[in-house]
Amino acid sequence: MTKQLWTVSEESLTRVAPHRLSGRTNRDVIRAWFFAACLVGASGVVWFGPAALKVLLLSIVSAVAVEIIIGLATRRPAGDGLSKAALIGLLFGLTLPATVPGDVVAFGAIISILVGRMVFGGLLHPALIGRVIVQFFFVSHLSLSGTLAVSPVLARGHLLFGDITRSGSVATFLGWGDTIAPSGRSAHLLERPVQSLRRFAQDGVASDGDLNYTPLLRDVLPPWSDTLWGAVPGGIGETSTLVLIVVGLYLISRGYLRWQLPVVMLASAAVAASILPVELHDDYRWFPVLKTEQNHAVGLAYVLYHLTAGQLMLGAFLLAGDVTASPMRIQGQLVFAVGIGVLTIFMRLYGVLSGECYWSILIMNALVGTIDRWMRRPVLGLADS
Amino acid sequence: MALLANLLGPRKAFDGGSFLPAHKSATAARPIETLPVDGPLYVPLTARRDLRTVPVVSGGDHVLRGQRLSRSIGEDSIPAHAPVSGRVVALDRAWTPYDGYLPCAVLEPDGREDAVPQRFGWEDESFIVQLADKGVVCPSPRAPLHVLVKEAVAAGVTELIVNAMETEPYLTTDHRILIEEPGRVIDATCELADALGVSRAILALPFRHRRVVKRMRAEAAGRHVEVFPLPDVYPQCHPVLLVKSLLDREVAPGGNVLDEGVIVLPLAAVRGAAEALLDDRAVTHAVLTVAGDAVVRPGIFRVAVGTPMRDVAQYVGLTAPVTGVVCGGPLTGVALGNEHAVVTAEVPALLMFATTHHAAPTSCSHCGWCVEDCPVGVDPTALMNLESERHCHVMERQQLDACIACGLCSHVCPARLPLAETIRRVRMRHVLKKDTAGAAES
Repeated sequence: MTKQLWTVSEESLTRVAPHRLSGRTNRDVIRAWFFAACLVGASGVVWFGPAALKVLLLSIVSAVAVEIIIGLATRRPAGDGLSKAALIGLLFGLTLPATVPGDVVAFGAIISILVGRMVFGGLLHPALIGRVIVQFFFVSHLSLSGTLAVSPVLARGHLLFGDITRSGSVATFLGWGDTIAPSGRSAHLLERPVQSLRRFAQDGVASDGDLNYTPLLRDVLPPWSDTLWGAVPGGIGETSTLVLIVVGLYLISRGYLRWQLPVVMLASAAVAASILPVELHDDYRWFPVLKTEQNHAVGLAYVLYHLTAGQLMLGAFLLAGDVTASPMRIQGQLVFAVGIGVLTIFMRLYGVLSGECYWSILIMNALVGTIDRWMRRPVLGLADS
Repeated sequence: MALLANLLGPRKAFDGGSFLPAHKSATAARPIETLPVDGPLYVPLTARRDLRTVPVVSGGDHVLRGQRLSRSIGEDSIPAHAPVSGRVVALDRAWTPYDGYLPCAVLEPDGREDAVPQRFGWEDESFIVQLADKGVVCPSPRAPLHVLVKEAVAAGVTELIVNAMETEPYLTTDHRILIEEPGRVIDATCELADALGVSRAILALPFRHRRVVKRMRAEAAGRHVEVFPLPDVYPQCHPVLLVKSLLDREVAPGGNVLDEGVIVLPLAAVRGAAEALLDDRAVTHAVLTVAGDAVVRPGIFRVAVGTPMRDVAQYVGLTAPVTGVVCGGPLTGVALGNEHAVVTAEVPALLMFATTHHAAPTSCSHCGWCVEDCPVGVDPTALMNLESERHCHVMERQQLDACIACGLCSHVCPARLPLAETIRRVRMRHVLKKDTAGAAES
């Protein structure tokens, strides 16, 4: 019995070490990220309705279709390419609002694969390449004031919390639960919280006597808990902060994302938002975090809104940690994360482009090669020379 | 703080490395068994291809256990001894995993345990002669122990490190030896330290096995052996990293630990020295971990030198056709090379696997896991590109030299790229080129 089992093949007799490999392959990594992105997408569908599902599916399908066509044209086996393309498509879809028309979604997904994946080889995040190019061409479609009805699942009688039909005009907006709106679409016509923050930083929110921050927090922005749950206007995957944190923890526990990256990115963004000045009455006020009005720590609330009200969470947990487009070593990733966090807040406060987190991730992606060279490990035994 | 250090263990003393799944539970609790001899043994007459010996037996001779089968020529070579009593059938050749075909004596055991009389008095001979006479070999670097001792004395070493780290998966030989022969390990270490004239003798062993550490500390109390527990992060077992962790000295790329005044001996060599010095017995058995997912009854076996690997496999039983047989650890061991291979004294383990882990490589995704885990700070992906180039720069050359061939980069690579394999090949090519260039100049 054993004699027969012992006949060892020629190939295995001459193999060189190592003979055992860790079980983790690129496919596992991509699958874990895809699963994480799917959870975020599901939460987006819960908030924004079937239209969001349509956007996500269309995005995935177009990305995969392009990948298949390119594979057929160049006669290369697809391998892990298809799952990677599906992931890119899904991430691209997560950055879009649910109101975007289908042709824009398909265009962006195709651009993501063609330009991001094929031309840049994934060194700049492909989904974000698609996102910023779409932003160039179809800026009006992204600003949520589209003309398509969205029919959210949160409409009356659909879900428990956050009844979107009862949201009101900006002046009296008290959150999704407490104000009345004429139709479901009105909620999507609301200003995004991050736009309100930008307007505020450029002295666009009228002050109420001595109170500068209070009008912003009281009248313009939704309650902070809504930005945690995700019941605010925005991209499909951008708003649900809690879900993003959970999937981030999942990726960290699987070992595919280093915890330092999102933590440092959010921390540096918080520090930047705390320090960088906002313009109030033609005067730059530094250290907004220290501001108190009527014994309320309005400055702290302002910084918290900066963290949860934009694309920062999606960027920190799903986009910045992309294995190909982030630095190799942990030290490099720290520099990378600080760069993204500070740049995001800087562009949000003083820039004109929306999608500032996506831009800063792309800018830092372009610097990854430099960071890697700078953070090269010393070879053992050569430290003193 | 001390309590915390006791619970969590010492800090990793070098960058990189990785905690691998151990796979040790199947064998770690089993006592060392002696494999019964029931077939002819093919005892190699020399320990290494370049060490010459002359057979002193011929076909038809009857030999006793421990009797000499060959005589060494020159100072460096060592004789072979009969592991069992029996009849020499013929002189033939046998495949050894590290050296290919070597001359061997085919020994038919007679079942009687007749041994050559022991002398208990080797004091009239020198330490070096005793080690050489009893055929003590060291598995890494692969050389007779007395040659290493002579080199170390010539280099003027000041520290002796006994390496019982065994951080590779599946291997538990050193662990069992520490459990079963703690006193002899310490005794032999003291003897070697005396002979080498070192100022410090350190026994490095895994922190995780707390009772073993405690026992060894008790045995070493009052002796000049320091017991040093280290975290069992792979590849802490490599001499260069032991020197870094224990003494905080860095060996230059391509250098030897002897340059730093240190000699690192694996526990197997110390065990051999214990047999030669304390018992005056020739080293005729290897202690092997036999494990792997194809093995029915994994364990640690004292196997006579010259036993065909096939007999070992037959004794432990196989569950499925083996697709990979490895001599040594799964990350640094060598493939068997030939299915008729025999056990030699320096084989540390025999691993048999039914599953294969090798798959077609995909493209590099720049994840940086290889860079993060590399224990010497090399960028394996950058070195892979050297394969297609004729020259390499000084910095790349240094990286090539610094590589300690631990195999971790290939192990962790999610794209299944043959990183370690390629680096080894590139290094061989550049070393060969340097040698031929040097020969041309002189």
